[in-house]
Amino acid sequence: MADVTFTVDGKKLTAPAGTLLIDACKAVGIEIPAFCYYPGLSLQAACRMCVVRIEKMPKLQTACTTTVAEGMVVQTETDEIKQARKATIELLLGNHPLDCPVCDAGGECELQDMTFKYGAAESKYVEIKQHREEQQWSPVVFFDRPRCILCYRCVRVCGEGMDVWALGIQNRGVSAVIAPNGQDHLECEECGMCIDICPVGALTSGTYRYKTRPWEMTHVATICTHCGDGCKTTLGTRRSNDGMEIVRGDNRDKSGINGDFLCIKGRYAFDFANRTERLTKPLVRQADGQFKEASWSEAIDFAAKRLREIRESKGGQAIGVIGSNRTTNEENYLLQKFARTVLGTNNIDHHRTVDYVSFAAALAGKSERTASLRDTANAPAILLLGNDPTEQHPALAWNLRSNVRLNRARIYIANHAEIKLRRQAKQFLEIPKDGYASLVQYLAGNDSVVAANEQTAAFRDAIRKEESLLIIFGSEFRGRDIQALVEFGLSLPNTKFVLLGDYANSRGAADMGLLPDTLPGYVPVASAAHFADEYGAVLPQNAGLDLLQMFDAAQSGNLAALYVVGSNPVTRYGVDPAVLKNTFVIVQDMFLTETAQLADVVFPAANLYEKAGTVTNTYGDIQLVKKAADKAGVRSDFELIVRLADRMGADLKKLVPFGRGVRADMGQTRGAQSGEADRHSVWLAAHGLEPKLSPFDPFATLDEIQRLVPSYSFSRLELLAGSDQHAKSELVQISAAPARRDLVLPSQDTLFTSGTLGRYSDKLKEVLDSHTTPKPVEAAAD
Amino acid sequence: MSIVRNIAAISKGMSITFKEMFQPTEVENYPDGPGPTRGAVLQDRFRGAHVLQRDENGLEKCVACFLCAAACPSNCIYIEAAENTAENRISSSERYAKVYNIDYNRCIFCGYCVEACPTDAITHGHGFELASLNATNLVMRKEDMLVPAVGMPGELAAHSDSVK
Ligand code: SF4
Ligand code: SF4
Ligand code: SF4
Ligand code: SF4
Ligand code: SF4
Ligand code: FES
Repeated sequence: MADVTFTVDGKKLTAPAGTLLIDACKAVGIEIPAFCYYPGLSLQAACRMCVVRIEKMPKLQTACTTTVAEGMVVQTETDEIKQARKATIELLLGNHPLDCPVCDAGGECELQDMTFKYGAAESKYVEIKQHREEQQWSPVVFFDRPRCILCYRCVRVCGEGMDVWALGIQNRGVSAVIAPNGQDHLECEECGMCIDICPVGALTSGTYRYKTRPWEMTHVATICTHCGDGCKTTLGTRRSNDGMEIVRGDNRDKSGINGDFLCIKGRYAFDFANRTERLTKPLVRQADGQFKEASWSEAIDFAAKRLREIRESKGGQAIGVIGSNRTTNEENYLLQKFARTVLGTNNIDHHRTVDYVSFAAALAGKSERTASLRDTANAPAILLLGNDPTEQHPALAWNLRSNVRLNRARIYIANHAEIKLRRQAKQFLEIPKDGYASLVQYLAGNDSVVAANEQTAAFRDAIRKEESLLIIFGSEFRGRDIQALVEFGLSLPNTKFVLLGDYANSRGAADMGLLPDTLPGYVPVASAAHFADEYGAVLPQNAGLDLLQMFDAAQSGNLAALYVVGSNPVTRYGVDPAVLKNTFVIVQDMFLTETAQLADVVFPAANLYEKAGTVTNTYGDIQLVKKAADKAGVRSDFELIVRLADRMGADLKKLVPFGRGVRADMGQTRGAQSGEADRHSVWLAAHGLEPKLSPFDPFATLDEIQRLVPSYSFSRLELLAGSDQHAKSELVQISAAPARRDLVLPSQDTLFTSGTLGRYSDKLKEVLDSHTTPKPVEAAAD
Repeated sequence: MSIVRNIAAISKGMSITFKEMFQPTEVENYPDGPGPTRGAVLQDRFRGAHVLQRDENGLEKCVACFLCAAACPSNCIYIEAAENTAENRISSSERYAKVYNIDYNRCIFCGYCVEACPTDAITHGHGFELASLNATNLVMRKEDMLVPAVGMPGELAAHSDSVK
């Protein structure tokens, strides 16, 4: 739209016509206070905090609903305005409790800030305040009614943003209150968006309330460990008896790819880390079949000795390695390097939730064809095939809804179930469960494969008319189906693709070569020359056993050892425990999972919130993971792999790149002063020394990854600054090798489950229970 | 003239000295004096060891707002908050301090915590005999600082949690 020029507080400003005055001011650093206005939600004009004086208008105007106009002259901070705002706050405080010392919002409360700013702390009212007891609406949502300032943000974010519409207004005028949909409780998606968006402490969170205060915590923005969307979540941690404990997850850092959004898992499901049954000491199985706690060196020595014996007597092909979907890229990379160079085997796999290999193969050599999660929020047209993002990719669902609401995006959905997102769809097509491949053929122009009718024809026509299409598809597509879908997509102009896999780093696991037939970057094992050069080792040339074959080999007695890192294949793939009875099993995990129970050695491992590195979400967005929490007694998987390799007699300098020279502490351990690291390296250089990094430093390994995997050639600076970087799929070199369909096992997670990990979250369990046992409807929340 | 001035100055000084010589001696006979302070005389404003107060119902005044900890320049207050329940009511508000420690190795008796407290829960008492041969003894717990609930209306309830 054309730009208009106007004056605010004597400054000449320009902004596109149609911009809200409050936004235009904010863009140039003029802050207009607002309680009810929230960018991206509908306008409410309920609070009157944003009033400004506009010349030629008789009364004060609300900046949150006024659009800028040519020649407008605006004052934002005059005595008159201050007085009006002060009066507004006085009214808001009329029945507001003096709760600040105990209120969860205290210290980050917008009402507190404004009261402080406009000095309305003394009340003119002498009447006794009306007290109401706090109400629990769900396991995660509590409501303290007198603290509510009726800004309606919660109502709008739940309705417009989440499309849940669980919150509403009861009564009118001074008796108006926020009320939940289930009379006295909430029936909703438990996302906690309403709590996050509440400017005061009226809505509080079940996990955090009354625990601590905002300034008492250390806030670390890291990546959610649950689904494949990779939201940035800010974890508030505080010191506890055995490390740093996470007390809150929220979305203060709205700079992430998820913008405003977090679902229940990113916000509340960090409590597995504090579970009492968490392993903190290595366990070694004794002759009598019982586990006994052992010291780290005993346990590692024991495991390394057995692995070495097996490698020497039976060769690498008798050893299998299973990696994880939630470990960092560096750990995954190191694990495959360890398997291939130290153990000498290609028997390495992980729980595949989708077929990334076929996807990479289909897109080999095509540039700019994969979309970031960010693109899903502004693509003009989207075709969603399979999957149920509301349950499995909540952040994607949020983006799609926002995209429709704010940009009028057109969404076309074909699914075998009536998924919730169909409510935002321009066209929804219900197809049989096995009808995805034929639908793609139909879309590509083959009329004979489906029983076409008017609806399918309209669907196809609409899609083919789109000038730029984002195709998002789920695990329903595997192998050749992906090939066919991509071919169809590429026949349209400007198509981008997204394959939806589960878990925080499934994509990273595939990209980093936790696969029996491909190395990092999907390089086939047979053409591994440059890897062999870099590693200075001979790599096994033949494809190894995949996950299912490993268990078959174990059954027939051909798998002497199995090393499982952060995975629970026994439950996932329904493996009979007897299969592993003659196999030496090493497991690294947080808990004694079903797989760990069958192990000979169990190492207590750290989770994603307790380590640093990078992860890649299912879209290919690479993000930085920062260490937030800490737990005495556990070790990161990275460290464990390195130590195991060391005890097996491997040359560590080849496994993890760390240089000669003196040990360099660039101030990391203390929190370096500005310029300190530079001075330190100048000093080292002047003395002809080279810094020696710790063998446990994952970033040295990231250097190696970036050297060997061209699709990961992104800006390190940007990554460290906290921005997401997109993997470059065009740089993948692969020849297609369709794998067994049954290797792909979608996690089938819902909003409230998260594989084995989710079972250890008390909050998720509580929410699940409350959703399966409907509450009796009692009296209305008055 | 300077000689005269010097003599005047000296005699002025000595006159005070001699006057004081004939005054009764005022020595605080601590620690052998009478009373609970064993002879020490303390001004009201004296800032000694902290006392955590109770309200008129015998409930703890502290609501674990962490403002004292935030105000403390030597960072010596450690608090863990917990929620009051109907069965276990410790303070009059929603939250109470499950753990409240002051590390007297570090406290500088500045009184900022007292200033910061919105509920007048933490005050400076007159306790000053804090020396110890073992530094770990200098971390005082809530139980060490809380006024006893004896004789207060909520005596029974309050006893359940917080008094030694
Ligand atoms: S909502 Fe804000 S102003 Fe109200 S009691 Fe809580 S912190 Fe204080
Ligand atoms: S938790 Fe989410 S779905 Fe539930 S009421 Fe709040 S905003 Fe709505
Ligand atoms: S509960 Fe919070 S977000 Fe909802 S209307 Fe009240 S103050 Fe606003
Ligand atoms: S959408 Fe996925 S990544 Fe985002 S918070 Fe939820 S579970 Fe975590
Ligand atoms: S008196 Fe000063 S140093 Fe001592 S606890 Fe209070 S604020 Fe801290
Ligand atoms: S922000 Fe404008 S009326 Fe509330």
